[in-house]
Amino acid sequence: MKNSSLLTRGLVPLFGLIFFILLWQLTSGFYHQVVLPSPLEVARSAVKLTAGGQLWEQGGQTIGRGLAGFSLAVLVGLPLGLFIGLSPLISSLLRPLIVGLQVTPLVSWLLLAMIWLGFSKVPSFVVFVTTLPLIIINTIQGVRNIDKQLLQVAQVFQINRARLFREIYLPQVLPYLLAGIITALGTTWKAVAMAEFLSVSTGVGARMAVARINLETADLFAWTFVLVGLGLLTDRLLSHFVNKKLRHWM
Amino acid sequence: MIAFERVYKTLGQTKVLQDFSLQAPKNEITCIIGPSGCGKTTMLQLLAGLETPDGGRITGMAGLGLSYVFQEPRLLPWKTVAENVAFVLDDAVTETRKQELIRKYLSLMGLYEYRNSYPKALSGGMKQRLALCRAFAYPHDILLMDEPFKSLDTPLRLGLVRAVAEMWQEKPRTAIIVTHDIVDALLLGHRVVVLSARPAVVLDEIEIDVPLTERNVLQEPLPTKHARMLALLEGENKKYFPGFGNI
Repeated sequence: MKNSSLLTRGLVPLFGLIFFILLWQLTSGFYHQVVLPSPLEVARSAVKLTAGGQLWEQGGQTIGRGLAGFSLAVLVGLPLGLFIGLSPLISSLLRPLIVGLQVTPLVSWLLLAMIWLGFSKVPSFVVFVTTLPLIIINTIQGVRNIDKQLLQVAQVFQINRARLFREIYLPQVLPYLLAGIITALGTTWKAVAMAEFLSVSTGVGARMAVARINLETADLFAWTFVLVGLGLLTDRLLSHFVNKKLRHWM
Repeated sequence: MIAFERVYKTLGQTKVLQDFSLQAPKNEITCIIGPSGCGKTTMLQLLAGLETPDGGRITGMAGLGLSYVFQEPRLLPWKTVAENVAFVLDDAVTETRKQELIRKYLSLMGLYEYRNSYPKALSGGMKQRLALCRAFAYPHDILLMDEPFKSLDTPLRLGLVRAVAEMWQEKPRTAIIVTHDIVDALLLGHRVVVLSARPAVVLDEIEIDVPLTERNVLQEPLPTKHARMLALLEGENKKYFPGFGNI
């Protein structure tokens, strides 16, 4: 059994990756490097960007903006989700608003943010509005799934409100919140790059705009891999943290 | 004295209690036995304030500290064994007393060595024992138990029955125990209330005048009481399943 898990988790995906890169290398031979740069050219470009310090500088900007918008979404979304989950009145009051928030096109937010906040805050704002509904909806889901039997236990043993919240509600909402956070962080890096591309002159998204204009397709690929890497890294780190935190009882 | 006075309670479409009255004397153990679905759990929930009566009233509960063993263990899965007991003690007793109580009751139930495990790692019987620990450790004047020994094997069940008897002997308090098992009732009840099927009425209140620690199911008057309870419950069965016994 151990061998088979090694096979599926380590070796086989690695072969898949190697196969994909080889295929890419082969295909790129038929096209001009502006259309499809070879893996080697992309690697060269990545080294250039890393050595020139661009990776850290632009990547840092993007991460900062993404995390700012995302953190604000958690800070606002968690209490809001708890309120909505606990009160049917607030729930019916805010439901249309949240659904509206979810289906509003990204480009509308982008343009509105430019008008309301000026260009520099657009990326963080866009991340905020795209991740906020994810946090809110997951938190509501968590509150709705609270075990009523445990609430009775707390009532019988006269657990006060603060502890009821901290020791009964929060642990049960946590798995849902963390699931929301993982999804939201995945969205964060896509949204921030898109917003940077359309609104500012720094950050990974903005560098992709520059690469496009200069027909530096290898750079475009390299930046894309930076974003992919960022997404994978945060996903893995968080999933690892979640497993460690919840495996005792989930 | 704790009393139900002409209590009515409807849950959903079901009229669980209709004009129901019952008394449970102070500092005695009252066992309630009766057919499934006759409203025994609802009675405990009404006493605990988890449900409110639709009519009539419940007296004698005001100001009493209450502890409760639910039919399911109802543990907090994100807390360890020790933390589950600590959870109910945190605001109720001092830190030193809390540690004392945790050690005492976990040891009594054979769970002390598992104090740092999570409920997920415990067997069904261990979970139920932990639920008992939690209820026993919590300071109380009255103890409500809803089929507390349900998921336990016979030797363990008898051991726990003895433990409850000894705890009562050490400090007599009011307890109301709902059970399906006549033997539990014979060994633990100062009074055994036998209920009819729904709508529940008290068929008989059987007093058992033998000290808890000296009871033996094979020694009179217990066999006679046993026979009486069986006859009453069987009578209820015949009323609802007239086909039984004619096979």
